[in-house]
Amino acid sequence: MKRSSRKPFAVFAASIAAVALSHDVFADATYDTLKSQVDNLQNQLREVKDQLKAQEKRVNDADVYELRKRIEQVSAQSEEWKNADSVVHLAGYGDVSYTDGDNQNGAVSAVRFNPIFHYQYRDLIMLEAELELELEENGATANNLEYLTVDLFVNDNLALIAGKSLSPLGQFRQNFHPSWINKLPTAPPGFGHDQAAPVSETGLQARGGLPLGGNSRFINYALYAGNGPILEIVGDEIEAIEAEGRTSNDDDEAVFGGRVGIIALPQLELGLSGATGKVAGEDEPNATRSYRVFGADFAYHWRTLRLRGEYIEQKVGSEVASAAPAAAKWQAWYAQASYRFAPTNWEGAVRYGDYDSPHDSSDQKQWAVGVNYLFSANAMAKLAYNFNNAANGSAADDDGFQLQFAYGF
Amino acid sequence: MNRVMASTRTFNFFPALYLGLSVTAVLATTPVDAENSDILARGAKSWSENCARCHEMRDPMEFRDDLWRPIVTHMRVRAGLTGLQQREILAFLQSANNRMPEPRGNVTDSGVPTRSTAATDLSGAEIYQQTCVACHGQDGTGAVPGAPDLTAADGPLAQDDGILLRHITEGFKTPGSPMAMPPKGGNPALGGADIQRVLGYLREKFGAASQ
Ligand code: HEC
Ligand code: HEC
Repeated sequence: MKRSSRKPFAVFAASIAAVALSHDVFADATYDTLKSQVDNLQNQLREVKDQLKAQEKRVNDADVYELRKRIEQVSAQSEEWKNADSVVHLAGYGDVSYTDGDNQNGAVSAVRFNPIFHYQYRDLIMLEAELELELEENGATANNLEYLTVDLFVNDNLALIAGKSLSPLGQFRQNFHPSWINKLPTAPPGFGHDQAAPVSETGLQARGGLPLGGNSRFINYALYAGNGPILEIVGDEIEAIEAEGRTSNDDDEAVFGGRVGIIALPQLELGLSGATGKVAGEDEPNATRSYRVFGADFAYHWRTLRLRGEYIEQKVGSEVASAAPAAAKWQAWYAQASYRFAPTNWEGAVRYGDYDSPHDSSDQKQWAVGVNYLFSANAMAKLAYNFNNAANGSAADDDGFQLQFAYGF
Repeated sequence: MNRVMASTRTFNFFPALYLGLSVTAVLATTPVDAENSDILARGAKSWSENCARCHEMRDPMEFRDDLWRPIVTHMRVRAGLTGLQQREILAFLQSANNRMPEPRGNVTDSGVPTRSTAATDLSGAEIYQQTCVACHGQDGTGAVPGAPDLTAADGPLAQDDGILLRHITEGFKTPGSPMAMPPKGGNPALGGADIQRVLGYLREKFGAASQ
């Protein structure tokens, strides 16, 4: 830099000398030209000096200090989110279904919104609550507290859960029923409300996982004590068993049960469920009778192939003091396969299900065949056709198709 | 500490409750060191083994770090995972969002920190086994939805090093793909030299030359 900045000085000095010597000799015009050249050179020199100064100033200690402070502030703020003791989170799902069948008019048949709220305090407590807001036939909105539990994490292998929860028996209700997870628009026959599979329970649960040597194989368990179901008795028959969590226990007898699942291979879960206790009719709390549940389930997945199956039965004993003295049994099973044709987002699903209840009129055998399009892991469109076989003339016998859009968030 | 947890295996309710409550107090204050790549590797494995059991695999980059926390807690309860699995999976999911490495150490005389490419001293094969295998599988054909077949002749490895290095370092997602490749496979501890080595390993093990 020094060497090159000398050059303009040399030119400058030479020009001055030349001007002094020959002032008389040269015309004014020449003098002006030279003067403007000198001015230019002076300007350029000033610019170079300014630039040098600016460069020196660009980074000084105060700036670095400022910047550091700022970075510390910003990163502390971004950590705030991660390290807060209390967290609030909104999850859930929503779906819209269109149904058309043999003896029914095509209609938008279901519009549902199920928000789930999570509040977590450290790794100690979580509150989970799901609401189900569903549009009814007449345009009103039904709402339902699907579940509300307070979960206390006791240690790495145990959480205590109090409140209303999805039934810990079997796998469809607790693991697969949300519409963005279920590969078909409908629940398998017998797995709906007041059918063979219990839906929910109010009580106390102990849940957790126990490693089976290493991290990949483990046992998960859910053991509970709850209020248990109630029987709906019409005339001299048990119309239905209402296995939904309620905040009353007319028969004053608790139900105990649970499920144990074994993850023997990471791709395969096998589960066994059972429960036992007493149950009574809605209007006859003293006519208690035995109540037993048994279930077995499996879930297997390999790449985009998913196989699932499940059997569940609920049995109540006979009771002479009841208006409906006879014993009764509800049972259902299904087997399902779904396969996504990777790398496309198209998926095929097929399910066979069989529901058997004390009332022949509600029994159903069903083949369901569906095609799904997965927009993402949590959003899909499903089109399915159900081939139903039930008592002639019953609604359960009508074949039909459903189109459903489901989004989980 | 985890040994203490595991020893409460037998389900003896009240002793378990008592011990549990006292241990939980300690546990709740022990953050997982997300920089520990062992935890990340175990977390990635545990995530790939458990998080596609009931529903489609959710993309590790789908949620912010603070949102993954209640989600993984929710899933621990739902799936009966252990607390250890929960912490490891959470550490992995949170690290999968880190696009930039943390600025580390090295400050020059002028007080200006330089971006160092802190590298591990692991070989390409070791890095693959620790960080990549959970998603890409032992044989490179992919173990989770969306992971491409690296052994296919016209597969990803047919591309230039430049593209692959960028995709591995910054992460990327093909439109319509069910899942993104997380930056550095979700392990922010990997430096530029590590990525070079693991790419070398991919080419040697799964590339056209190996067939
Ligand atoms: C045992 C079955 C099961 C397993 C295993 C499972 N999930 Fe879930 N997951 C569910 C169900 C069921 C829901 C819907 C929750 C509801 O509707 O109550 C869900 C919901 C979610 C959601 C939506 C947000 C939320 O909190 O509801 C995300 C994200 C998610 N799971 C991620 C994961 C991850 C990550 C893992 C691995 C740790 C995982 N899941 C393992 C059953 C499972
Ligand atoms: C969390 C799962 C996951 C982990 C861990 C992971 N990957 Fe990937 N990787 C993916 C997915 C998913 C894709 C495909 C993404 C897409 O196409 O959108 C992918 C794609 C790639 C590709 C293809 C790039 C291209 O341009 O097509 C390479 C190479 C790759 N990964 C290397 C690695 C390496 C090396 C590691 C370990 C450092 C690693 N991956 C760890 C999930 C993962």
